[in-house]
Amino acid sequence: MDDKNEIRKITMAELFPLIIEMKAKHWRLVQICAVSIEQGYEMSYSFCKNEEYRMVTLRLEVGEEETIASITPIYPCAFLQENEAAELFGVKIENISPNYQDKLYRIDEVAPFKKKE
Amino acid sequence: MAKRSIVPFGPQHPVLPEPVHLDLVLEDETVVGAIPSIGYIHRGLEKLVEKRDFKQYVYIAERVCGICSCGHGMGYCESVEKVMGIEVPRRAEYLRTIWMEMSRVHSHLLWLGLLADAMGFESLFMESWRLREKILDMFDKTAGGRIILSVNCVGGVLKDMDGGMLQGVLHAVEDLEKEMKPVIDTFLEDYTVQSRLKGTGILSRENAIAMGAVGPTLRASGEAYDIRMLGYAAYKDLSVEPITEKDGDCYARCEVRLRELLQSFALICEAIQKIPEGPIAVPVKGNPKGEYFMRIEQPRGEAIYYVKGNGTKYLDRFRLRTPTTSNIPPMVEMLKGCQLADVPLLILTIDPCVSCTER
Amino acid sequence: MKKTRMFTFAGRVLSNLFQKPATTNYPFQPVEYPDRMRGHVVIKIEDCISCGLCVRQCPSQAIQVDKKAGTWKINRFDCVQCGNCVNVCPKKCLAMEKGYTEPDGQKTCEAFTRPKQQETKPTITGKPTMNPEKCVYCTLCAKKCPQNALKVDRKEKIWELNPEACIQCGICMSVCPKHAIEMKQ
Repeated sequence: MDDKNEIRKITMAELFPLIIEMKAKHWRLVQICAVSIEQGYEMSYSFCKNEEYRMVTLRLEVGEEETIASITPIYPCAFLQENEAAELFGVKIENISPNYQDKLYRIDEVAPFKKKE
Repeated sequence: MAKRSIVPFGPQHPVLPEPVHLDLVLEDETVVGAIPSIGYIHRGLEKLVEKRDFKQYVYIAERVCGICSCGHGMGYCESVEKVMGIEVPRRAEYLRTIWMEMSRVHSHLLWLGLLADAMGFESLFMESWRLREKILDMFDKTAGGRIILSVNCVGGVLKDMDGGMLQGVLHAVEDLEKEMKPVIDTFLEDYTVQSRLKGTGILSRENAIAMGAVGPTLRASGEAYDIRMLGYAAYKDLSVEPITEKDGDCYARCEVRLRELLQSFALICEAIQKIPEGPIAVPVKGNPKGEYFMRIEQPRGEAIYYVKGNGTKYLDRFRLRTPTTSNIPPMVEMLKGCQLADVPLLILTIDPCVSCTER
Repeated sequence: MKKTRMFTFAGRVLSNLFQKPATTNYPFQPVEYPDRMRGHVVIKIEDCISCGLCVRQCPSQAIQVDKKAGTWKINRFDCVQCGNCVNVCPKKCLAMEKGYTEPDGQKTCEAFTRPKQQETKPTITGKPTMNPEKCVYCTLCAKKCPQNALKVDRKEKIWELNPEACIQCGICMSVCPKHAIEMKQ
């Protein structure tokens, strides 16, 4: 990774303080990405500082049954991507607002992206 | 208090090129809230990366969406190249840039036509799309397809443009620049256009950043942010400057795109003058292992390509965060407080691309 | 404040009334396609060796190859005209030609069969084997292999084949300057 694009590993306890800090410093939410790994999921929250073109990705490893709180109270624009991660991968995200209840993409199958083929 | 009612908008609506549904909460004629819902054309193309090898997936990445096709192919290839540490030949980078800027021109002209059509300005719509046809003809001659170019491959590009073709592109762009003049004047000065666009759907700079807007939607609110400034492909050698407007209304978003058209014309001419000779692709050995977040400036804004490879020829994960995914929350924000009659126009000014969003 | 004009298109509308249309009169006036146009895939079936690389590399799985019968089938309605099969074909017997696929009421497959008289030629069957007496470890076979199935090292005098990756195209045999490679079952 180059200097403008870094990945920072964080723990569950650090997530919320860091996201509140990002919000206070006016970082823009770029994307949320879920990847299924052996013991659960890897969640990546990317933020961007527009003036410097710097992007920081917070990498959080979540167990399969672990729940994460939604970041929509802090970043309301995260709702589409959090709903997507919950629906396609089955990541347990609590209190998304608005919550589409797995009907964002109108698919019948439960968590179709979760298992590797 | 006025009576509240909910009006469904879409998925089939004359102004929408693609299906997106909105539940509009109205107080009399004023919109007080909107809930977007998508999911009519979800195809799960991100999942297909596990079944197609990484060189073959380029063709699927660029078929995610028609209008953004060239950028998707390029973004995917660049992210895989970053993971594998491949140095792309300079000529290939220039060719990618020229095709990318041409597709920006064709995307913006398409949008201008749709905007004119949404306002009921039929002859301006016809004129924009007539001019767009010149770029499509050049695509057909240089790449072999009118919309889906299929020119990018991991390690470079598949097709070269000889001197005659580059001259042809140059002439087409110069012609287009001349013919664009009256169209641009009409968009900026016409009474109808001004009265429909000025002051509608204002998005403040703070709101734009907080809601995560990208591309022309963000730049029209006064934020100078253009990923091309990072200097991927040949942009490091070209004079790129983010184009901004202050007002943040529909008119400003239209003006940003019109000025970007002129910028793209200049960039294409500059790239054609500076293009070096040399090979157009390098052979690719081995398989990608590692991950990378690639950022590309698509016509609609910043797009993110995330690639995670595990050392086999099948990638673990490919994620595409398209500009429209980011632009839907600010659009919902803009809709609050506008009149019902302005809703179609407002939705159109973020240039929604639903098939990109749903992949 | 920008200036405001009215009836900006009136002149254009009036002049359009007396001009020829901007569109052409298709289908009465045929279209001229540019040379590079990706319209449809064609095959020179005599040169095809049924290696099946195109089948594996087709993103939309539109191609079927039967090695025994020597047929090459394409479902024109599944084909997305990406041109990948043309790029990967080791024998360069596939090509993209201009002109679109004819419309039809249902999806159909187009099949091509290799003519039988070809059988008199020595057909390539089996995987390559190397004769150590003749080989000079020039690595040409490894460079030309479309599947990267060969590993050759001049210093260590290694010539290795990955049998799973090999598609038995016989290109290594035909490029070998010392005729050290033979195709054997």
